[in-house]
Amino acid sequence: MKALVIIPAYNEAGNIIKTVEDIKKNAPSFDYVIINDCSKDDTMRLCERMKYNVVNMPLNSGIGAAVQCGYLYAKRYGYDYAVQVDGDGQHEACFLEEMLHIMEKEKMNMLIGSRFIENLGFQSSYLRRIGIKWFSFLIKCYTGETITDPTSGMRMAGRDIINFFAEEYPKDYPEPETAIALLKLGYTVKEIPVQMKKREEGKSSISFKRSIYYMFKVTIACCMAGVGYKKYEKEDFEDKYFKGAL
Amino acid sequence: MTGRLQFLIAVVTLIALIYVANKVRKRVIELKYALVWFLVTFLLFIMDLFPDTLGDMARFLGISLPINMLILFGFGFVLLILYTFTIVITNQDRRIKRLIQEVSILNYRIDELENALRKEDIKVKKIKTRTADEGPEHKVKVEKQEKFKLLEEE
Repeated sequence: MKALVIIPAYNEAGNIIKTVEDIKKNAPSFDYVIINDCSKDDTMRLCERMKYNVVNMPLNSGIGAAVQCGYLYAKRYGYDYAVQVDGDGQHEACFLEEMLHIMEKEKMNMLIGSRFIENLGFQSSYLRRIGIKWFSFLIKCYTGETITDPTSGMRMAGRDIINFFAEEYPKDYPEPETAIALLKLGYTVKEIPVQMKKREEGKSSISFKRSIYYMFKVTIACCMAGVGYKKYEKEDFEDKYFKGAL
Repeated sequence: MTGRLQFLIAVVTLIALIYVANKVRKRVIELKYALVWFLVTFLLFIMDLFPDTLGDMARFLGISLPINMLILFGFGFVLLILYTFTIVITNQDRRIKRLIQEVSILNYRIDELENALRKEDIKVKKIKTRTADEGPEHKVKVEKQEKFKLLEEE
């Protein structure tokens, strides 16, 4: 059984060491890979000096492409589980072991770390919480399932999902959209409570101006995913990509 | 529609058709993407040849001038061209993304391989890869260093 932590990093020189050391210390059964999305700061040199396991992308291609690269890595190197942890130090590694344990025990396809089950730790701003509620509502409408924290980046995927994400992953802000797609395709998605921290250095990728674009884009993407995937397509999809590719 | 205007449109569409065809011949434009241009200019040319039909259509739709009918068609065709290009862009975007990912993983594997070989004491010539992601500032720095070296050697 192999498990991988995917750390997408873009200009995270201030956070990356803390994040990786946290994972090494608190999640020892995980391997990790940093996907350096062509950072303009010292991220790359820092990773090389510290001898971290890093994949450098030759061109900046956005968070979605970087994370997908991580899933591709997981697929190529035959990992059974992959979890995404943001390079900004928001996610705490101590929850990863627990997530892995639950994943193994309860055979599910994806496990999301949710901030809003126990409502502990950093709870995000009021406006963002409204946005998150809205996406929860959308997911409920389209799939009937309750996902309390659809924008959480801390998501652990099993093998099927790794293969799925390696082929199909949105370019930016993928979380709510992929949750709907996976549920529609008939995969099981569950949540466990986690705590997150406020980011310490660097900027969030979602500024105020961006957040308007974010709301529009993700809402439309959710609607598309809601009508775009049907259960019976799962087999088609698996035929098309996995059996041919592997 | 006056004869003069009709003549002008015919000449312009014909020139456009020949121009695009010539570019395809010189392989500046890929034939696959030129097809939609051929179609559009050709259709506009044909319509221009039959102003009476165009006039009938215009009257049927309640457009007072036949030339406006032609402009409406032209607009529709432009949208068609844009649409095909949106598909092309999406396709290329997807493929470029995948290429970047493959290249980065290959780079990673090459590094891994080189390190393993070095451990086995097999000599590999280290190639400075990753010039692309070190930006123009770094290149300037490297050039300066190289100049410095040359000066020192002298």
